[in-house]
Amino acid sequence: MEKRVLITGNEAIGAGAIAAGCDCYFGYPITPQNELTAYMSRWMPAEGRTFIQAESEISAINMVYGAAATGARAMTSSSSPGISLKQEGISYLAGSELPAVIANVQRGGPGLGNIEPAQSDYFQAVKGGGHGDYHVIVLAPASVQEMYDLTMLAFDLADRWRNPALVLADGQLGQMMEPLIPHKMSRKRNLPPKDWALTGAKNREKRVVKSFYPAIGELEEYNKHLASKYRKIQRRETRAEEYFTEDAEVVLVAFGTVARLCREVVRKARQKGLPVGLLRPVTLWPFPTRRFEKLASRAKAFLVVEMNAGQMVEDVRLATSCRLPVSFYGRMGGGVPEIAEIYRRTRKLLMAVSIKAAS
Amino acid sequence: MVTTEQAVKQPVTPEEYKSGLKPVWCPGCGDYGVLNALCQVYHRLGLKPEETMIFSGIGCSSRITGYLKSYGFNSVHGRALPIAMGAKLARPKLNVIAAGGDGDAFSIGIGHFPHACRRNIDMTYIVMDNHIYGLTKGQLSPTSPHDMLTTTSKFGSIETPINPILLAIGCQATFVARAFSGNIKHMVDVITKGIEHRGFSFIQVLSPCVTFIGKDQFLIIKNLLHYLEDDPDYDPSHRTSAFHVADEKDRISVGVIYQKKKPTYMDQLEILRQNAASKKKKKLADLVEIFRP
Repeated sequence: MEKRVLITGNEAIGAGAIAAGCDCYFGYPITPQNELTAYMSRWMPAEGRTFIQAESEISAINMVYGAAATGARAMTSSSSPGISLKQEGISYLAGSELPAVIANVQRGGPGLGNIEPAQSDYFQAVKGGGHGDYHVIVLAPASVQEMYDLTMLAFDLADRWRNPALVLADGQLGQMMEPLIPHKMSRKRNLPPKDWALTGAKNREKRVVKSFYPAIGELEEYNKHLASKYRKIQRRETRAEEYFTEDAEVVLVAFGTVARLCREVVRKARQKGLPVGLLRPVTLWPFPTRRFEKLASRAKAFLVVEMNAGQMVEDVRLATSCRLPVSFYGRMGGGVPEIAEIYRRTRKLLMAVSIKAAS
Repeated sequence: MVTTEQAVKQPVTPEEYKSGLKPVWCPGCGDYGVLNALCQVYHRLGLKPEETMIFSGIGCSSRITGYLKSYGFNSVHGRALPIAMGAKLARPKLNVIAAGGDGDAFSIGIGHFPHACRRNIDMTYIVMDNHIYGLTKGQLSPTSPHDMLTTTSKFGSIETPINPILLAIGCQATFVARAFSGNIKHMVDVITKGIEHRGFSFIQVLSPCVTFIGKDQFLIIKNLLHYLEDDPDYDPSHRTSAFHVADEKDRISVGVIYQKKKPTYMDQLEILRQNAASKKKKKLADLVEIFRP
């Protein structure tokens, strides 16, 4: 049997980052992600890597900007209010086409909110978050194992596409403990060489890292280049998990913590012979639009469940071009949907679509 | 519904300046001392709750705004000063106090501190310095001593701490003082002087964290205290002496370390406004005529 360790989700992000060869981690205290910063303080120096508790989230993301420019694997993490502070830096990273990994262990908002789990930073994560036309790659783990695995993947995706990648977790995933299999980094990753990194221009032409294109028309050309890169990412890097969707009439859609609850709802429904399935986007950007297109041709309704006021539901409606009804159920401010309530709503929706089909 | 009469009822004892909300601080926290001292200061100065506003950022000590009967603004991490400055500039007649911890003041918020000092807006900034992040459970603070073990300095801090008193004097603050949570009577005197001072007053209160550093802090600090008031030769208007006191290693001086009379920002703004008004030769209508094509 493979070696397993019992570990919190926050620590699993740290372990995944170290396993992925993260050279520099820059943190700042904020609940509920403090275990990650403490973990990095303990283990990064032992690996000969660099850990710094920066003086602010703004400082931390700019340390990432500097480290990433030199070709290092750099990372920062925070929770919702701190991620808001980092947005300027993330925009510059995207604008300069630099790889970096950011983890957001979400808590309730807006403002100071609270320290309970939430998914209310979905819009901020998938629509860009800062200023300018850009996207970050957003990965949504749903277990401690995925906190580890997707953090590793985030480093590879960031390097492959020279783009920031964000791990979007929440306080519940960060705080809970589960057994983790600490995989080693795969050798067959085939990443492009970092021939843009600032490593000192000895015996070669100088390289320039910038996001400033002041000449007329220059920025538009650059924006076109970025847009074309984002289209390629959308084609190649979409990830989703399907659970009993083949014959499902009602498809639940959820990510992260809520997907775990919905999986249980599907299991219960299937025990009673009800045609219910789950589609769980693993990449929130790029959004798994094609999976929705396919499902929309055979399912009868979607029920999107989130820990927010209804954010991903907008992308589901876009992805299905509103061809079939898309319902929403959400809890906010640290409220976690209960399995019984999701089940009740699922059954109600199933009955409604069956009646509609019969009439 | 709270009627206007209830809201502005003037407290008659120091205790009545408390809001009645139970503090979330750990038993034995130094911040209780600051809360009690502030109530006594409010009482001594007869501050009206409706004319007094206290601003804080985020952290254990920043909760203090909720525990006082005056207006309170528990704001953004590190931003107590700019928010307090904004309020004071918009409502100069308010008594404005900003309060918070060392992380708020000297980590994320340090960029605002030199500017608050040099602008000399008439307000008071009280920093409850415990050398650690308490609310997030024991991380390194910018005032943590070298070598200190915390959850984010697992092998001891390799950074040099910030000296807030040196920083304040260096940034041209016009009132710089230090007090200790273990001596409330002395702290009341120091904070009263700070509020009475015309201009920006900065007060560092050594306010031990009993949970993440330990109860013995009170005794350690107490044994090192040196009261500047008891030193007849000490002249707080002498800047070089103040620097010297701020840099002491073998003892901890408390009291008013530096004080200087200087026009406040509002004093100067009033003059600037008058100058600007007298030099306004052209009226808007005249300008339209000048630039008419």
